[in-house]
Amino acid sequence: MPEIFIDGVAVAAKDGQTVMEAARDAGVYIPGFCWHPQLSVAGNCRLCMVEVEGETGGWMDIACNMPATRGMKVLTNSPRVRERRKVMLEMVLLNHPVDCGVCDKAGECMLQDYHYEHNGAPSVSTVPKVRATKFHDLSSRILLDNERCVLCSRCVRFTREVSRSHALGIVARGDHSLVRCDEKRSLDDDPYSDNVVDICPVGALLSRRFLYKSRVWYLQKTPSVCPGCERGCTIDLWHRKAEWRLNALDARHNTAIERVTPRENPAVNGPWICNKARDLPDLLERARAEGPMLKGRRVAMAEALAAARQLVEAARRPVALVSSWGSNEELAAAHAALAGRFRCHVKADHAPRPGERLADDLLIRPDKNPNGRRARELFGEAPPALEGADLVLAWGEGFDFADVPRGARTILLNAFLAPENGHADAFFATTLQTERAGHYTNFAGTVSAFTPICPAAPHTVDAEAVFAALAVRPRVSA
Amino acid sequence: MKHLIPEFEKLKRRYPAGFESSLVLPCLHRIQDDRGYVADEDVDGLCAWLGVPRIQVEEVLSYYTMFRRSPVGRWHVQVCRNVSCSMRGAERLIGHVCRRLGVEPGTTTADGRFTVSTVECLGSCGTAPVMVVNEAYHENMDAAKADALLEGLK
Repeated sequence: MPEIFIDGVAVAAKDGQTVMEAARDAGVYIPGFCWHPQLSVAGNCRLCMVEVEGETGGWMDIACNMPATRGMKVLTNSPRVRERRKVMLEMVLLNHPVDCGVCDKAGECMLQDYHYEHNGAPSVSTVPKVRATKFHDLSSRILLDNERCVLCSRCVRFTREVSRSHALGIVARGDHSLVRCDEKRSLDDDPYSDNVVDICPVGALLSRRFLYKSRVWYLQKTPSVCPGCERGCTIDLWHRKAEWRLNALDARHNTAIERVTPRENPAVNGPWICNKARDLPDLLERARAEGPMLKGRRVAMAEALAAARQLVEAARRPVALVSSWGSNEELAAAHAALAGRFRCHVKADHAPRPGERLADDLLIRPDKNPNGRRARELFGEAPPALEGADLVLAWGEGFDFADVPRGARTILLNAFLAPENGHADAFFATTLQTERAGHYTNFAGTVSAFTPICPAAPHTVDAEAVFAALAVRPRVSA
Repeated sequence: MKHLIPEFEKLKRRYPAGFESSLVLPCLHRIQDDRGYVADEDVDGLCAWLGVPRIQVEEVLSYYTMFRRSPVGRWHVQVCRNVSCSMRGAERLIGHVCRRLGVEPGTTTADGRFTVSTVECLGSCGTAPVMVVNEAYHENMDAAKADALLEGLK
């Protein structure tokens, strides 16, 4: 545990830590483009230059690659350091187009922040800027603006060290250097590719999904959990701030999930998520079921609940198929209300899609449902079986009416519009995880919370409320 | 490049295990010596044999200008245009060679015999201007010496 001094304050660095890591742990922010806590040290941006005091005047070196050694006296904000940073930023900005006005990264751009903090002066160069490709088609999901790129190589190291697709590299050299995908365009096959957009310190790597969709300062982020697989990565759902609601333009933007980013969580997903989480709007913004129905006829909620309750009261051998997309709270409510009366099975709401990666050693897990573990803890491991049932209560997607025994009645709870919703004797449109708070338990038992981003859609009901209404005591046999 | 693999195997034994990517450079040199340039199929073959991702080979090929991705003529004439050579008449020399052969720098004569390239420092500033024809250095060049040299190349 070498003790070092950062700006005169004693800091206990861990063995093997660099000055950068020790400083960040101690809450001292040293700027830098290329350094990323989860990637190897490249040491190419030279922005984390610090001064080390020594008897012969000291020296300057990059903090990200400097091991912390006992008694080292580091200055992170001395006049020499400030001057060096200013000069480095001058060089980084030499060929930068300064097109922040049309850049998606503006507002969360490290180059922008550092320029305001450490330089702020107009360019001193009179030489024309080097032009490079804009809107380069890097993959089906990502565009690259080479003029904005600062060649920090974070994206390249991500594909080599984290996602291991080895898709990206830097070709040519000097001013002509360009981040490029290999000829086989293997970035298309990298299910983690969109993380490079997040770790890009500038606006060079652009998500096609988010391109020109919104200025980031119009958005707020709400913590949520990705339901895409049993990993349950913690994510941020970015949606429009209430004070920036659109009135004249496309009003759908007011409620839409504009983008999804990882919420750093060492216990579950670190700072990464897979592309399935980025595409959550496709999953969560599908057409919604319109309201309660009895055999396809829209009715009032009270009428549907009463009818469903009658079905439960009349049933002799009711079976419930429990959703593995239910939150811990919903599953507890289902267990309290139904377990005594129904034979319960856990249902996989979603099966892997064709071509979807099943599992890997980074994040992706084989079960494509977020709460299967908690559901099985409560309701057992037995696979769904409907033989002999005279009432089937199916909760969530992934339910096939062909499996219902002849003559059995059905109660269906589903959030999304589907033709078979009308087949059910009683149907309830349920709320989505973006409309209510709750928790998922992931495959390893870690519980993560999600919070609503918008009010519940009209005529929908929380599954908990349906279960509470259906809690019928078992009939005492005569 | 398949027929070079036995040679590469021998080379590989000189490197510690796990350093396959270090073999990219020597293997590419050998491929270019063999074929005259590095073809796409060579890159495919080398990636497959080394198990090195393709982009890493592309990085090396694009970083070093000595690697050629397309064929050159029978004689590859490379003339230095860096500071020392330019001060000693390299621009005139390049112009003369190109006029004589009827090509622009970077192109090949119609009969496929000569390719003229301009290159940066060849490390022989003391004998500027310098011209390299295939592997041979020709020093203290001028138009007359270039004419005599090109005349002798069949």
